Amino acid sequence: MSVKNWVLAGAGAMKLRHLLLIVAGIVSLYALLLLTNVNPGDAGHRLVKGTLGLDMVNGHLSFVSANAISGTLRETCPLLIAGIAVFIALQAGLFNIGVEGQLIVGALTCAAIALRIPGIPGIVLGTIGAVIMGAVWALPAGLIRAYRGGHEVITTIMLNSVAIYVTNGIVSGPLKDVKQESPTTPTLADSSRLPFLYNTSNAQISSGILIGLLLLVAFAFWLRRFVSGYELRAVGSNPVAAKLAGVKTAKTIVMSMVVSGGIAGLAGAVQVLGYTFRYYQDFSQGYGFNALGVALLAGSNPLGIIPAAFFFGLLTKGSSALQVLGIPKDSGFVVLGLLIIVFATIRYRKLISVTES
Amino acid sequence: MPVLEMLGISKSFGAVKALDDVSLSVEKGSIHALVGENGAGKTTLMRILYGATAMDSGTINLNGQSAHISSSAQAISHGIGMVSQHYSIIPELTNLQNLMLGAEPGWTISNKKAASRADELATRMGFSFDWNASASTLSPAGAQKLEILKLLWRNAEIMILDEPTAMLSPADSNALFESLKQLTEAGATVVLVTHRLPEVISHCKEVTVLRGGKFVGSKPVEETNTEELAEMIVGHPLTELAPHQAVGRETARLTLQNLSAKGYRGDLAVNGLSMELYQGELLGIAGVDGNGQRELFQVLTGGLKPESGSINWDGEDITSSTIGNRIAKGFRLIPEDRHAEGVIDDWPLEENAALGLQKQPPFANGAYVDQHGRKGAAEKIAAMFNTKHGGLNNPMSSLSGGNQQRFVAGRVLFLNPQLILAFQPARGLDIDATRKLYDAIRSKCLEGACAIVVSFDLDEILIHCDRVAVMHAGHILNPPKGSEHDRQAIGRLMVGAA
Amino acid sequence: MDFTKILLFNMIALGSPLALAAMGGFASERSGIMNIALEGNMLVGAIATALIGHLTKSPWLGLLGGVSAAVVLSLLHWLLTQYYRMDHIVSGMAINLLAFGVANFLDQKYTDPTAGEIPTLKINAYYTVAIVLPFLIAAYMRYTKGGLRLFAVGNDPSKSRQMGLSPVKVRFLALTITGVFCGLSGALIVSTARYYTDNMTAGDGFIALAALILGSWRPIPALIACLVFGMFKGLEIQLQGVPVFGVHIPREFWFSLPYLITVVALAGFLGKSRVPAGLGKT
Repeated sequence: MSVKNWVLAGAGAMKLRHLLLIVAGIVSLYALLLLTNVNPGDAGHRLVKGTLGLDMVNGHLSFVSANAISGTLRETCPLLIAGIAVFIALQAGLFNIGVEGQLIVGALTCAAIALRIPGIPGIVLGTIGAVIMGAVWALPAGLIRAYRGGHEVITTIMLNSVAIYVTNGIVSGPLKDVKQESPTTPTLADSSRLPFLYNTSNAQISSGILIGLLLLVAFAFWLRRFVSGYELRAVGSNPVAAKLAGVKTAKTIVMSMVVSGGIAGLAGAVQVLGYTFRYYQDFSQGYGFNALGVALLAGSNPLGIIPAAFFFGLLTKGSSALQVLGIPKDSGFVVLGLLIIVFATIRYRKLISVTES
Repeated sequence: MPVLEMLGISKSFGAVKALDDVSLSVEKGSIHALVGENGAGKTTLMRILYGATAMDSGTINLNGQSAHISSSAQAISHGIGMVSQHYSIIPELTNLQNLMLGAEPGWTISNKKAASRADELATRMGFSFDWNASASTLSPAGAQKLEILKLLWRNAEIMILDEPTAMLSPADSNALFESLKQLTEAGATVVLVTHRLPEVISHCKEVTVLRGGKFVGSKPVEETNTEELAEMIVGHPLTELAPHQAVGRETARLTLQNLSAKGYRGDLAVNGLSMELYQGELLGIAGVDGNGQRELFQVLTGGLKPESGSINWDGEDITSSTIGNRIAKGFRLIPEDRHAEGVIDDWPLEENAALGLQKQPPFANGAYVDQHGRKGAAEKIAAMFNTKHGGLNNPMSSLSGGNQQRFVAGRVLFLNPQLILAFQPARGLDIDATRKLYDAIRSKCLEGACAIVVSFDLDEILIHCDRVAVMHAGHILNPPKGSEHDRQAIGRLMVGAA
Repeated sequence: MDFTKILLFNMIALGSPLALAAMGGFASERSGIMNIALEGNMLVGAIATALIGHLTKSPWLGLLGGVSAAVVLSLLHWLLTQYYRMDHIVSGMAINLLAFGVANFLDQKYTDPTAGEIPTLKINAYYTVAIVLPFLIAAYMRYTKGGLRLFAVGNDPSKSRQMGLSPVKVRFLALTITGVFCGLSGALIVSTARYYTDNMTAGDGFIALAALILGSWRPIPALIACLVFGMFKGLEIQLQGVPVFGVHIPREFWFSLPYLITVVALAGFLGKSRVPAGLGKT
């Protein structure tokens, strides 16, 4: 569909109550800004400079900070991969709220393996281990949904908490770096890190983002051009019709949950190998929840994940840039919550009516 | 003065005119029958009276005064009660809770007091209930009785009963009419929606006939008879029958033996059914709704596991083979609810064309989607029954119901079907399209396939099918020799009166 | 105090906020609205109680503020699911995020850690309410018109509508109640500590939801599950570093136990649960 059609369709679907919702969202954001006594112009200026590295120099818009854009990409990468994880489950009609837990379990597994096996074998085995653990962590949710009818959201919420406690226990126990006070693993050797695409003293861009982009392209291709991708989408769009069309719906549900968990585990591995080089307590800053926002924002086209993840990367990097102005960092969640509400009410009405019947 | 008058009622669902300037006038203390074919608008009219569906135009008068009814709550406050075909009993509640719901005696509920009043009502009708039992244990007849008591509990003066005898045995039906007679003698008024003419003749005072959403006529029952009513309902003497091919019954392709399957209520909806289907045969299964037709189709497609018995296809036992395997063997389904079961609304037509056939060429090339082949196939499918669409990239939801139906039918006949299973295939189609669809199914049968059609419209089956059988209480009944296409004989089988 | 006494005290002290929130969840889910936003409601209840109590120096106004804030947030869930027909999960998620962001914002901007303690009501009063409430609710469900209607709407909204009920109205009242109970729960948590810390509810809303599911959406079994979960939390504090039968059990084990038990229950190993049949339906 062309952009014009999309806009027209959007306008057509828009009703007064949706408009009211958007207005309410903007008003509450503005109220938030007013409460902080921040000059909106100043905030905007810092936001652009702090996330994209652009500033006005002598009346010209110039690129002044590679650090800013590399920081934004650093935030984008986990959201991109975790966004794919949420998206694939969503295409099968499932809400994988458990990406958060699957990601940290994968990250810890990867760190544990890469710390013991140096070099490329460690990177490869660590990644495989992370994918497997992420998948294992998602498996109960898939099985319970497919064969017991228990809602995957409840299962994954529960397993998220278990993941947080288990990883915290391990990182403050057996895997703890004894030389550090806070619970963290030792740092990976240079040979166990993903190569950089760009590396200077003040800015680095890891090849992790490339992995994410390649995965996304492969995934988008699979979804449209493979019969199994077609069947997965059928289950998510109309499970009754899919079943009558000969699709094994229960198996598809379990598989999509497992693959989703595996990709979430991969997101954790890339984060460890490409950015943090260690696992530490409270590793995820809500990546799983942000990824749900990314997937909802992306709509029905998998390539929509790229701008959505970048936008969320901007939001995350931006809120730390705005901290200087006295805007608390986690207030970004307000923006996220409002965005999800506005987007979901307008774009996801169809999805809902199908799941209801 | 009539107790109830509905004047000039019209209602459209999208492009379909369900009711067109329909009127109804009912005398106090009588049983008034509302008759017509499936889709004539009877239920819609009654749902409007009960506030469950909003009318586009028209007026409703109660006791000569205009009444505004826009919700069921308002209808109830006007003394109107309705027993819908699928009952409004909530199985998770107890019988007593179901009885009271919406008309509780007060802020707090004393089960003891409520049960004693309930007992009083039940005794008056000659019923008896275990009030604290869960309503999920009720039999169809028990549920029907509870629904009647619900009307009494609410002091309903106008009672609407939609096909109340559809799921009752003859003895239970007689008991029901006995109760209704008692109620009308006590001053209540009953509107009875039915398609069983004998019930009308023996129990009702007046009858109103609807056809295709239009008012045909109203008559006192004593001035009419079954034949006249039948003609009013159908609109013309029966259409000429199809030139039935004498199919050589040589090769049995489908054999069902002693097949039993559970319905959603847990009883055996298909009950020890045996039948054979021969190459080239177009079999029509007639019968009243709810006699196991849906469950039979679910078992045939592979979506429901039979409790016992076997299914043989071309000599191979396929009782436990999956839906996908059966599709690969050439099983094709035109599902009852095309919209919910046969298409994916927000997908383009092109992708919908592959639904069910997605694994086979030209839709697939091994594990890959064959986009080129799919496009060509989608064009042919759309052309087969002249589906009107604005391009194959438009979503299915952009098509009208009738066009979606044409598209689904085209898809079913597209890729070498061997067993065509069609559930109410004519629903939503006009006469021409219906004939075209049946002709296409028959031509596939002449090429060696076979087909089973289920319809609740006996005439549709008589006109279009080669062989007619009746499904009743989970069994297949064959009309006696010599009257294979005799409407009367088949009608008797349908109500289990043979 | 001896071991058992402390254990029992912890069971009530840590189980009560869970029980209050679980009863909030009961009202919502029994009416047919899935609610993963209990956590957000509690968090907003806690921060509002702290903030308003601190500013007005009145424990009653603090409580009133906390409860009102939670009610507003709970009714947002009603509005989004019933009027905007939003998916119950997405709406609950978004509300949790909103609550988290707003609470963090208010905390960093307006609460002064050096300002000292916030005024509170008697904690024992909260405990009493938390323990008695489930019994009152059970009686309400059994003996009143409102209870019957809540039960009916949650099981089958469309048949209830046929019987003249208005599911949307019933759900409005139910979600108001959800807000009240979650607000009370948040107020209890902040009153026990006597000051607010960031993300203070720390997942208690999800444990309450787990307890509700374990209790098969029935109030008294849910209360028992809450008390057991509270006991686990208490054991974790009591057993820190103390070996049990010669084995050192990591604290994380006790933390994750409630969640693990719930997953096992969801898998159907602890008997069939009675989900409200109309959960998520309109």
